[in-house]
Amino acid sequence: MADKKVLQVNMVAADHPVWSGTATSVTIPGTEGQMGILPDHEPLLSIIKGGTVSVVDPSGERHSFEVADGFISFDSNKLTIAVERGRDVVRTSGAD
Amino acid sequence: MASQLALKSRINSTTSLGKIFNAQEMIASSHIAKARNVALNAKPYTDAIFDAVQALAAHTHIDHPIMKTHDRGDGHARVAVLALTADRGMAGAYTSSIIRETEGLLAHLDSEGKDPQLYVYGRRGVSYYKYRNRDVAGTWDGDSDHPGVEVAESISSALMDAYMKPEDEHGVSELYVVFTEFVNMVVQKVRVLRMLPVELIRPAVDTSDGITMAELAEPDDADDPASEVSPLYSFEPSVDEVLDAILPKYIQSRIHECLLTAAASETASRQNAMHTATDNANNLIDSLTRELNASRQAAITQELTEIIGSADALNKEEE
Repeated sequence: MADKKVLQVNMVAADHPVWSGTATSVTIPGTEGQMGILPDHEPLLSIIKGGTVSVVDPSGERHSFEVADGFISFDSNKLTIAVERGRDVVRTSGAD
Repeated sequence: MASQLALKSRINSTTSLGKIFNAQEMIASSHIAKARNVALNAKPYTDAIFDAVQALAAHTHIDHPIMKTHDRGDGHARVAVLALTADRGMAGAYTSSIIRETEGLLAHLDSEGKDPQLYVYGRRGVSYYKYRNRDVAGTWDGDSDHPGVEVAESISSALMDAYMKPEDEHGVSELYVVFTEFVNMVVQKVRVLRMLPVELIRPAVDTSDGITMAELAEPDDADDPASEVSPLYSFEPSVDEVLDAILPKYIQSRIHECLLTAAASETASRQNAMHTATDNANNLIDSLTRELNASRQAAITQELTEIIGSADALNKEEE
């Protein structure tokens, strides 16, 4: 658990940075359904539609963000989520 | 010499004007910090889009109308010019420099045989062209000192529409933006930017040194001459759809960036103008006070002369 692989996440909205940090997995609302991204995913450029992005950080905590449409790019273990509008909605612990 | 009463009332009115200028200056300087923050906050998004577009440019052969000059016959190409002006005055030469530059650009485009369509943002610019009965293809106003994403969105979607339309439906083939760049607190420069078609600064694909971005990342594929497009990235749902989605966003974020630097420049030039106005008001108050003092002294001297004169006359009578 300690040396679990992680990826760098940087989420930005058009007018402000939303969240950045490390994560063990990220789920994004792709145009053709939810898409999960794990560390060492192949480089990817994808459109996302409005919905919820959820990020699981290394301590197992789940962060959820409500986003409008945008896109993600993933390259060398760095995930950039760029959305028109985005905000942090609920912060629930993964334990419960 | 003006009467003391007149001078006093002028001093009073100048003092209150000076207070207003001073307050405006303070407001402007507090807004600069905010405008800067907004610009800084928007930067990660702009960078993210820019990186994505760079990645697209590096790994695909972009074949999208945004990227190339439309070949639309000759001699009569419509081009769009977007001028970013202020909503309010009291910003020195801010709006007038933009208008001067825009006029210059319009004349230049005319001389090239193009047909410029004018788009204006900012109430001052809009009223300038309305007053002169000029044809303006589109106008926006409001919040020129803190433009939101919504304004950028509506401007860019209108311009994209005009750009994507075919020539016979009043489509345009190029887009120029005239805006003020924020160099520093004292210097703001008017710049003309050709935004469409997009010109990308491609990473140097110089095969002679054998180092390209794609090769650095994935050396195995570099030797394969058949694949011109390095299969480094995968695109979801497809390259075309990603292009269709990202390029308009790229334009929008560029326009938003221009709006934000224009807003910062506007605030800075308002602060400068108000600072000068406060200084001028103070100078005026000083010289008016001097004039008032001189006129008061003159009145006192005159009274003294009168008293002494009459006393002398009385003394002479007694003798």
